[in-house]
Amino acid sequence: MKMRSKKIARYLIALFVIFSLNFIIPRLMPGDPITNLLGEDYVMTEESLQELREKMGLDESLPIQYLNYWNGVFRFDFGYSYHFKGPVSSIILSRMKWTLLLLIPSILFSAILGSLMGSISGQKSSSNSYKTLTLIELAFYSTPTFFLSLIFLYIFSFKLGLFPIKGFYYSGGILDILHHFFLPISIMTIFLTSRNYMIMRGSVIQEKSKLYVVYAKAKGLSDRQVLFKHIFKNASLPLLTLLALDFGFILSGALFIEIIFSMNGMGNLIYEALLSRDYPVLYGSFMIISIMAVLANAFVDFLYGIIDPRISDSV
Amino acid sequence: MNKGLSIVLMSILCISLIVGCVNQGTPEKTTTTTIKIGSPNTIKAANFFDTNLGVFSKISNLTLTKMDENGKIIGNMATKYEASNNDKVWKFYINPELYWSDGKKVTPEDVKFSVEYYANKIPYAGWIKQRLKAVTVIPEENAVEILFTEPYTRTNLEFTTYNILPKHVWESIQDPMNYIQIDNYVGCGPFFISNVNLDSQIVTLKKNPYWKGKQSVVDTIEIHMYKTNDALALDLENGTLDVYYKYAGSYPYSNIQKLIDTGKYATIKKMNVGLIFLGMNLQRQPMSDVNFRNAISYAINYDEIAKIDALGYGTAPNRGFVPPTMEFYKETPKLEYNLEKAKQLLNEAGYKDGNGNGILETTDGKDIKLIMLLRPEYVRSGELVQDYLKKVGIETTLKSVDSSTWISLKDKYYYDLTITRTTPWGMLMHAQWGSGYFDSRRTGEGVLHNLSDPEFLKICDNILSTTDSGKLKIYAYDLQDYYSDNLPGITLYWNENITPYSKKFSGWYVDPLFGIYNTETFLNLQKAS
Repeated sequence: MKMRSKKIARYLIALFVIFSLNFIIPRLMPGDPITNLLGEDYVMTEESLQELREKMGLDESLPIQYLNYWNGVFRFDFGYSYHFKGPVSSIILSRMKWTLLLLIPSILFSAILGSLMGSISGQKSSSNSYKTLTLIELAFYSTPTFFLSLIFLYIFSFKLGLFPIKGFYYSGGILDILHHFFLPISIMTIFLTSRNYMIMRGSVIQEKSKLYVVYAKAKGLSDRQVLFKHIFKNASLPLLTLLALDFGFILSGALFIEIIFSMNGMGNLIYEALLSRDYPVLYGSFMIISIMAVLANAFVDFLYGIIDPRISDSV
Repeated sequence: MNKGLSIVLMSILCISLIVGCVNQGTPEKTTTTTIKIGSPNTIKAANFFDTNLGVFSKISNLTLTKMDENGKIIGNMATKYEASNNDKVWKFYINPELYWSDGKKVTPEDVKFSVEYYANKIPYAGWIKQRLKAVTVIPEENAVEILFTEPYTRTNLEFTTYNILPKHVWESIQDPMNYIQIDNYVGCGPFFISNVNLDSQIVTLKKNPYWKGKQSVVDTIEIHMYKTNDALALDLENGTLDVYYKYAGSYPYSNIQKLIDTGKYATIKKMNVGLIFLGMNLQRQPMSDVNFRNAISYAINYDEIAKIDALGYGTAPNRGFVPPTMEFYKETPKLEYNLEKAKQLLNEAGYKDGNGNGILETTDGKDIKLIMLLRPEYVRSGELVQDYLKKVGIETTLKSVDSSTWISLKDKYYYDLTITRTTPWGMLMHAQWGSGYFDSRRTGEGVLHNLSDPEFLKICDNILSTTDSGKLKIYAYDLQDYYSDNLPGITLYWNENITPYSKKFSGWYVDPLFGIYNTETFLNLQKAS
């Protein structure tokens, strides 16, 4: 009970620090949110600038702005974006659904594919075919996602004409959406699979030399039984941590893919908000990312305890 | 059991997301003639006053005046206009043949409403609010008279950019800067904006059913917005798009030949009214010394920078800053690359390498080490200029920052040198001919506001005090002579705007302000035989 209270207190302190940094960091960046509201060849009078500053609450002193910010946090009200013209919460919701649609299948497919392929490859690490597979996965893992996206775009959309180049959809039908998402999801899946594969493979190689594996083999279990009944559970712990982080950064993780495919998702929203110093959108986005990251970590702590009870005593 | 439940839950979540994302209200697929424009100009929100949506609505909500292909200001919504002798009263005669896309007639009341609406509610139209005394409707002449508190000679020019709004629609909208509308903006041009879809990144314009003028062969215009030029180029090369459009910009020079090689596209080449220039912090030594500025102007290899940075689509400029495409352009001396002369002039001006470390010193004995503040798109030009200056003994450190930081540091004068561009509208701002970029009495995102020389300010004031074209010509020449003698900014190259278009259509019309995006283009387009 005492341990659980400690954990909760730790998460609350982490959230307080993160939320405070959310407020401070955008303000430490040089640049003024007002000057980015209009195009580069528009000129505003001092009076208009002052009016806008008041509307955006930027005329208040920093401590007052900080208090207003916390007031908003407690009411889950992220404020209003003068750049994207709307309440931040509805802007984030409208973008988030698309990013989730892009990332949830990618994370799930890559977790399944990466862990299965990585496990088998780890167990049969001396096999030439799995060495080749490792080489291919390593190549995908070392390729930056924006470059991978451009290559795929060039081959599958431009050369073969199989998939559209931009947007979430054209006509809005379900098949149209799936058609537009197939390539971005595939790229994200390939990239994440390669990472999961490498981690799982390494982890299995480490685990298979341990005594409990020798004992399981001595009991007469088949290789497959040894792998999936004994090694897999222990080897999957590092992967679980990464999956938790994936969910934490789910909203910003697909930035390059969203840019290449001209998709108006969360990655693009955060990127544009950063460039235009849109404080409310930055607060809202980072706050959701922080909450998701903390919750995902808490969930993994819980899972660790189930998978390996020895760990639950130490976390 | 738990695994099965997880799979079911995840499947439900994915299906819910897909269903939640379906049917967002998108452009219809039609069998009629559709022009597809590819543009890197993206829209942040479906707000009529968004910078890029404002440009896209130029053919739906006509402006009072417009520029013809030679840069001359002519009537647009107004069939003609006139100014009083003191330039305080401007009268615009409204075309009686115009109807809004909802069937209502365009009236001078709409114009009066729009001018007052801009003055009171739109921050960047503060200049109207500052000077507007009254707007009067003259029904018998179908005209409006705009009365200012002081002479305002730029009125006809300013109104090339303000889209006129239907009063019956906008009078109930109190906060237009934050008003979002997805469908059916009422317009009075040959087309109106029927849909702004940020999920598919498409703005759709349809024919105005009440347009009484020449009919277009085009039924629908789709503007496809791209976050990167690379993806846009691929869609052009595979023939998905009919034309490229970027406000105040060119198709990337490096992609032009590849596109032409497809055989599907031809290009329109037009000398840009805007340009790329080396700006200087004139409040700091040694940039405040005209002899220093003159000397370094000889250190820059203009032909090379035009060849490398503009890939051959640029030309070496004159000292007079203003490109030949602007009205009242004056042929000032060419900027010349002469390394020996640069070194000699620096030496004569007192900038010598006294301690022999290879770096020139200022007159008070300090090494000349300059900071060049750059936005990422100018880093290549910056590296070239850095190299040129090094050859004459000036050390430069490049500081590449994002646009917001550039604006902030530039406004605080935390830089020595910078490379930036002017846009066509920017060249026409203030007293025109690029003066808006230098005049210290102004501020703005893209302007340097670094020049307070009384001689320069006087020329600007002269230009701002007259609409007489004879006088304007004299003052424009004075300004270009001033630039030539004092070099407050050194043009690096004049460049061409290249617009690729599909050979399936002909009849493209280019104006200096908005390029191919104008009513003439869409009314004149013909399907190629």
